[in-house]
Amino acid sequence: MKRTLLSRVYELRFYQKNIVWFLMTIMGVLMVLPMWNVIVVSTSSTLASTQSGVVLWWQAFSLEGYQYVFQITKLARPFMNSLLVTTVGTVLQVLLSSIAGYVLIHRDLPYCRLMMTFILITMMIPGDLTLISIYRLNKSLGLLNSYTGLILNGLISGFSILLMRNYFSSISYSLAESSRVDGANELFIFARIYLPISLPGLATVFFMEYVAKWNSITLPAALLTKESMYTLPLMLKMMILSTNSVSGVAQVPNNAIMAAIVISAAPLLLIYVFAQRFLLSGLNLGATKE
Amino acid sequence: MEIKGMSYTANLRRQTRSRLKRYKTIYLLMIPVVAYFLVFSYFPMALGVFNSLHEIKLLGSITWVGLDQYRAVLSSPVYGQATVNTLIVGMGTFLLQLAWGLLLALCITELRRRVSRSFFQTATYIPYLLSWAVVGSIWIAILSPSGMINGFLRMIFGDGFRRIVFMSERSYARAIMIFTGAWKTAGYTAALFLAAIISINPSLYEAAAIDGATRVEQIRRITLPSIIPTVKVVTLLAVMGMLRNFDQIYIMSNASILDKVRNLLYLIYMDGIVQFKVGLASAAACLVLAMTLLLTLIVRKLIGYDRLG
Repeated sequence: MKRTLLSRVYELRFYQKNIVWFLMTIMGVLMVLPMWNVIVVSTSSTLASTQSGVVLWWQAFSLEGYQYVFQITKLARPFMNSLLVTTVGTVLQVLLSSIAGYVLIHRDLPYCRLMMTFILITMMIPGDLTLISIYRLNKSLGLLNSYTGLILNGLISGFSILLMRNYFSSISYSLAESSRVDGANELFIFARIYLPISLPGLATVFFMEYVAKWNSITLPAALLTKESMYTLPLMLKMMILSTNSVSGVAQVPNNAIMAAIVISAAPLLLIYVFAQRFLLSGLNLGATKE
Repeated sequence: MEIKGMSYTANLRRQTRSRLKRYKTIYLLMIPVVAYFLVFSYFPMALGVFNSLHEIKLLGSITWVGLDQYRAVLSSPVYGQATVNTLIVGMGTFLLQLAWGLLLALCITELRRRVSRSFFQTATYIPYLLSWAVVGSIWIAILSPSGMINGFLRMIFGDGFRRIVFMSERSYARAIMIFTGAWKTAGYTAALFLAAIISINPSLYEAAAIDGATRVEQIRRITLPSIIPTVKVVTLLAVMGMLRNFDQIYIMSNASILDKVRNLLYLIYMDGIVQFKVGLASAAACLVLAMTLLLTLIVRKLIGYDRLG
């Protein structure tokens, strides 16, 4: 706030401000118009949505597109698949990474550094580069085309463990020590002392991972072949493909595709609106130096 | 806690043992995590290396072939082409995203009203949150013959304008990937820059203003030098992600532009999972991993990432 006050005295000149506004308008239009276009077309009637050109306002408002994706494309199934897999996976991930993070704050714990290295190495192995082996592994475990497979792969990440560990280590360690002296067991200390005061940290991991899992394409693309198991991204891809194809398959109308896009994006926008604070802090943490 | 009559090492061992006992529950807590990483992270890695050195037939016979698969990958023109595509699209996206993000951040800081600032920040950040399935579909729709871009062109050039099928035009393919890639990440890059700009000491600007520096000079002399560490972070993130771009090509490519945009990870996926050339794809994946590590190391050295500032 101080900065704003100070710089108010030293602003850009008038013509320079105009340049800034000019640039902002161009960039804003580039970023916003495509998304606006999607919203308008998704809520236009099928007839209006087949009209080509610059569509930035409703000619005929209608929810036909949404009706189409639920009745004909049967988008409810992939939506529920995505919701189930993402929610269960994220809850488990938050739980497991907070447990691991809690273990790693005990500095006098024998082999603590070894475990740390063990986790850090996994961060050097990107999951998408071991995709072939992950596919083979899941095949032999019978996890192809299953919810378990989608949830289990990528369930824990070194990054979320480190994030939780950093959060926990900012809490005074003597808190754990003193309750240990009082005879509390480890689980109690973790669940009753550490977890409640770490809610912001837990929320950060939760929302970050929720976004990442919801958007995941590589893993379902590798593990799923059955259409009934498809998650939203795969379903979207299939819808665009059928539009591009020249075969006799019935084309998906424009407003239906746009409706599917809106449905895929809606949960993330909701998260952004309600949990922006946690999301931004987490995303920026990923980029801080060491 | 010196215990009489006991040597230092014996004491230490005793202490360790007592700690091990005390932390028994803690180790138990760690078991699922360690087991997970062993099965889903270390094992696939080892399996990948194993597969890259063996020939695996559909019927299950496994024979040792040494470095043959690696040789096959390195001499394959398709993989060569994929490497070129990956690097061109990756570098292009990185440069455009850096410039775009920087411009956004600088412009947003010059906006005086809070409302307009948070509007632009939010609007530009949202694409970063969305999946490639969403972003890809949006742009495929916009670039389609009946889409918005063709609509604009028609408005400019009149009704005689012949619509361009952007998504199947080979000469536009890479440019489209670069542009959409930057479009998706520019807001995130800008957010990183904004965080750096906010943490600049305000008294620097004050001192510069007293010395008579104009706002533009202040930006050049204070803001830009202060965000160089962030430029380094963005560079490193881009380099680490460059060879791992799969989602974008998986969603946005189609048969007519495939050999212009098909990148390494997409090719590995196609070879390994769809066409069952497990050994070849595993060898390629190992090479990409090695390349990523090497590239990261080189770029770290080049930009002096490990030095301060």
